[in-house]
Amino acid sequence: MRMKSSPKLRPNGWDGLAAAVVLVLAVACAALVWTGGGQSGPLTAVVSADGETVDQVVLADLTEPEERTYTANGCTLRVTFGPGSAQVTASDCPTQDCVHTGKITRGGQSIVCLPARIVIQLEGGPAADSGVDLVIG
Amino acid sequence: MRRFGALLAALLLAGSLTACGGAAAQEMQTAQVFAMDTVMGLQATGGETAEALAAAEDEIYRLDEELSRTREDSAVSQLNRAEAGTSVEVGAELYDLIARALAFSQATDGAFDITLAPVSSAWGFTEDAYRVPAQEELAGLLAHVGSEHVHLDGASAVSLDQGTQIDLGAIAKGYASDAVAAIYQEHGITHGIVDLGGNTWVCGGNLKGEPWRIGVQDPARAGEAEAYTGILRMGDGFAVTSGGYQRYFEENGKTYHHIIDPATGHPAESGLTSVTVVADGTVGNGTMCDALSTALFVMGEERALDFWRSGVYDFDLILVTEDGRLLVTDGIADRFQPDETAGYAYEVIS
Repeated sequence: MRMKSSPKLRPNGWDGLAAAVVLVLAVACAALVWTGGGQSGPLTAVVSADGETVDQVVLADLTEPEERTYTANGCTLRVTFGPGSAQVTASDCPTQDCVHTGKITRGGQSIVCLPARIVIQLEGGPAADSGVDLVIG
Repeated sequence: MRRFGALLAALLLAGSLTACGGAAAQEMQTAQVFAMDTVMGLQATGGETAEALAAAEDEIYRLDEELSRTREDSAVSQLNRAEAGTSVEVGAELYDLIARALAFSQATDGAFDITLAPVSSAWGFTEDAYRVPAQEELAGLLAHVGSEHVHLDGASAVSLDQGTQIDLGAIAKGYASDAVAAIYQEHGITHGIVDLGGNTWVCGGNLKGEPWRIGVQDPARAGEAEAYTGILRMGDGFAVTSGGYQRYFEENGKTYHHIIDPATGHPAESGLTSVTVVADGTVGNGTMCDALSTALFVMGEERALDFWRSGVYDFDLILVTEDGRLLVTDGIADRFQPDETAGYAYEVIS
């Protein structure tokens, strides 16, 4: 014996739309979860002094090296920003740790000058290969 | 109408799916603190996050003021300035910390020593005015070095012998990490990182529900980014690294680092280039890890491993030797992934 389906239960265009909406939302949710919220923008150097942001340089926009100086707490740092990198090239701070750090190129990396209390932090861009959450040592 | 009801239900279902990913969608709140001669990074989420970060920041600044040797008004400076043999009321907190420091000195046979302050100053490490002191100068200063020159009087007073000064720099950040860990717990933080310049406490694992991935800096490539001896996976716990590469100066082609051997007054030459001490996240272990990382660096490989095997304290180790070996104790070997590109000969120690 064959069952007859009611015309009202047959799928039509509206049902297809509902299914499409659910599908799109599901894909969007998955993308959000698996990409960590999609926070990654263009690689940007954020310069802070005493915890306050004093400058931001979108490294992805640079086509050639650009030099800027920052002064805080009696120390002056000369920073060279390049396409995809930042480096303290000179500093009159007593420890020179910021100069020794060398070039940073990936989101999450930073250069710290303690005497000046200046931090240059890279944000955005591709994630670091190693995928570490923090570094000790 | 029924179709719109179905669409509404579908939207609600999709919304609930987004909520299932709540932990992953959560964001870590961060704070940056300049204190204790380093830059500190705090991350937290869950619970009363903003309150926890604010309280942690306040606590770090408070401890910096109390424990600093370079701040004239600190409790430690007042003790150092007091006339020799005078009993100084330092309060219960500083008294207890000094008592713990003395216990670490005793346990490590003097390798950890808070009375090295004048020697460290002679090398210019305290004032960022580096120099190589003469042997006669060091010999004179070493006469006043040793835990026997620090006296605990009553329940909250301390006195120092003539010429003796204390510096809690080798234990203060560890103590601060304990204090911040306690604050995080009080405020119900579910995922957190407390990075106090080489002194680290983590809790809850990352937002994907996995252990935190901690890169251990390769001392041979200290100036390079992403140059690790390996990666330690840890959900909850303390990890502290001491290494000569962290602070040093060069004179006449020779490198002098900041970890002084109390037995010689010179930078320790123990054959180790880096010591990482790892312990569970129990509040109090941060202080222990900080003290032991310094002490075991001074002691060298053999004494450090003997000390670990003695079981006096419950911890694990990652040691890097000058001759290119990477030693990891078996308590954390299953959570440590050595970086083969670093070129070390990897050994698990039991």
